Amino acid sequence: MDDQWAFFLRILPELWEGLKMSMYLSVGALSLGLVIGLPLALVKTYGHGVLRFVVTAYIEVVRGTPMVVQLFMVYFGLPELGIVIDRVPAAIIALAVNSSAYQAEYFRGAILSVSEGQYAAGRAIGMSQGQAVLHIILPQALRIVIPPWSNEMVYMVKYTSIAFLIAVPELMAQGQVIITRTFRPMETLFWVGLLYVIVLAILSQIVDWIETRVRIPGYQSDRRG
Amino acid sequence: MTKSIVSIRNLHKSYGKVPVLNDFSLDVYPNEVVVVIGPSGTGKSTLLRCINYLTPFDSGEIHLDGQKIDPRKTNLNHVRQQIGMVFQDFNLFNHMSAFHNVAVGLVKVKRVNRGEARSRALDELERVGMLQYKDQYPAELSGGQKQRVAIARALAMNPKIMLFDEPTSALDPELIEEVLAVMKSLAAAGMTMVVVSHEMSFAREAADRIVFMDQGAIAEMGSPSELFANPHKERTRQFLSKLGYRENERKDESDG
Repeated sequence: MDDQWAFFLRILPELWEGLKMSMYLSVGALSLGLVIGLPLALVKTYGHGVLRFVVTAYIEVVRGTPMVVQLFMVYFGLPELGIVIDRVPAAIIALAVNSSAYQAEYFRGAILSVSEGQYAAGRAIGMSQGQAVLHIILPQALRIVIPPWSNEMVYMVKYTSIAFLIAVPELMAQGQVIITRTFRPMETLFWVGLLYVIVLAILSQIVDWIETRVRIPGYQSDRRG
Repeated sequence: MTKSIVSIRNLHKSYGKVPVLNDFSLDVYPNEVVVVIGPSGTGKSTLLRCINYLTPFDSGEIHLDGQKIDPRKTNLNHVRQQIGMVFQDFNLFNHMSAFHNVAVGLVKVKRVNRGEARSRALDELERVGMLQYKDQYPAELSGGQKQRVAIARALAMNPKIMLFDEPTSALDPELIEEVLAVMKSLAAAGMTMVVVSHEMSFAREAADRIVFMDQGAIAEMGSPSELFANPHKERTRQFLSKLGYRENERKDESDG
């Protein structure tokens, strides 16, 4: 047991560096995914014609292709078109594109779950479509989206591990390096896995706290089992 | 002749092949309270939603205060500010307190400064007896209280006319009266109103005119006393007796 602890403490600095990189990728991909995904959701919900078709196609293509394919397209494919991107930004872009499609669908679901009457009431007092969406629909949809969005967050933190395929030194890649050096895959992977679990538990708690903080008084309250 | 506030001319509206409004025309005059009754599915709610262009219609015209509304030229957001609407299921903004529900239109739509918006919103809440609940959220209010806030929200925009779409149908019986009381006081204060409702106590007390709608058109129209006491059409007679609201039936028949 002492040996296990000693091993853990010895590899911890490397794992810590990897964890920081994983968090950096997660935050970057989730934020960029949100910035892209929310407008996509609005276009898919309220848009018409070609624009809506393009957005729908984007979402379907992105959701229908493996994330590894997207990652390799950005990192190995784009340079063929003369666009060379460093590995870390390439990983963030690929993960963000992937996340944007899922986030768009989560946002769209949340927008649609705000009742039609809310929108009608906004229009009835003279709000434009944009005002009704901005002041009436989105504030409610953004609350509704928190639970499914936290699901996306959990996936994303774990999926950053595929960035090790293009040698981004995130947590999984650091583990790989340690394994190659020490030949102790079982213990190394145990600690790597445990770090993911701990980080995700903390993040979930933070999301729960935010959800409670922004809860509308008397509305959808105390439904948890 | 007085100028009408709202003039509805030859309105046609179908959902697919089903005609909902069939050459519907009606003029509503200043300070008038028009109560619209009729069987369900006869186009009453659609009529109200067409008046403020929440639902587009197929043909016909609507004139507001003498001005023809042309959706291609008139700014409909501006039109809707002048037409207050109260919904059957309240539709209070779930994420806002009673106060913000009333103030939001003033701040975001009318661009009134916050101080003035605040005092006007509080005035409107007081007018419907909801001032003490100003910080409550919709989910914390009873149905009757929600509907009173919804009325205040519409009034805050200072509309020329108020449309009520079955404002008490979703309420428990004991809560209906508090909403009707607010509506009666509005009527007494001279607000022009079109009310879709089967609350005959309200119709009798506050209505200047009753419109009986059937199959998307006006089947019969008259003052409450005329219409309740002596409906001309068999369809109206049937409907009123179904509601159980036709008064003095025996007496009228013996008189006639």
